Amino acid sequence: MSAEERTNSKPFFRRTKSCPFSGENAPKIDWKDTKTLGRFISERGKMVPSRITNVSQKKQRELAKAIKRSRYMAMLPYVRTDGESQR
Amino acid sequence: MPYYETVFIVRQDMTEAQVKTLTDGYQKIITDAGGKINKVENWGLRNLAYRINKNRRGHYVLIESESPAPAIHEMERTMRLNEDILRFMSTREDELSTGPSIIMDKSSKDTDGDKKPYKKREAA
Repeated sequence: MSAEERTNSKPFFRRTKSCPFSGENAPKIDWKDTKTLGRFISERGKMVPSRITNVSQKKQRELAKAIKRSRYMAMLPYVRTDGESQR
Repeated sequence: MPYYETVFIVRQDMTEAQVKTLTDGYQKIITDAGGKINKVENWGLRNLAYRINKNRRGHYVLIESESPAPAIHEMERTMRLNEDILRFMSTREDELSTGPSIIMDKSSKDTDGDKKPYKKREAA
């Protein structure tokens, strides 16, 4: 498993962009902002690690807190099952 | 006085008038204790991301206030006792927000091309 991760990290290496929440015109992390938050959760609804999204450590902690609040208030799901249609 | 932001979800079976009555009641609790209401927003009936007490939709209401902490405690206590409130959450804010919240702002904007959520790459 670890060998695969090492070989996969090479094509990602060059694409390091800056943290999407730092710098000017960066959106503020708000738990009500499902549109922005939705970019940082996977299709299953899981939070995406910062090594992939390139969010800074501090902002990742704020982001995690916001996502958890959002989940509590039922604006984001805890888990998304396969069916996109709501039963 | 500290700034607080409270959002609560009311059962989908309630009418708008009942939701308004509830909201007014909570506003009264805050103002009676000497607080100021900064913003009240009714986000309307929204789909919940998951079922809460077998409800799939709920009325969301946002109250932003500058009030003493005991007022918020009292408001939360009454919310906890009320069966029609599914969820509530009060957050302390560092500063007052200006303008409408993101939810109300979005309804004026077009939702064009939502960015796709992160897709896990399949192991080659």
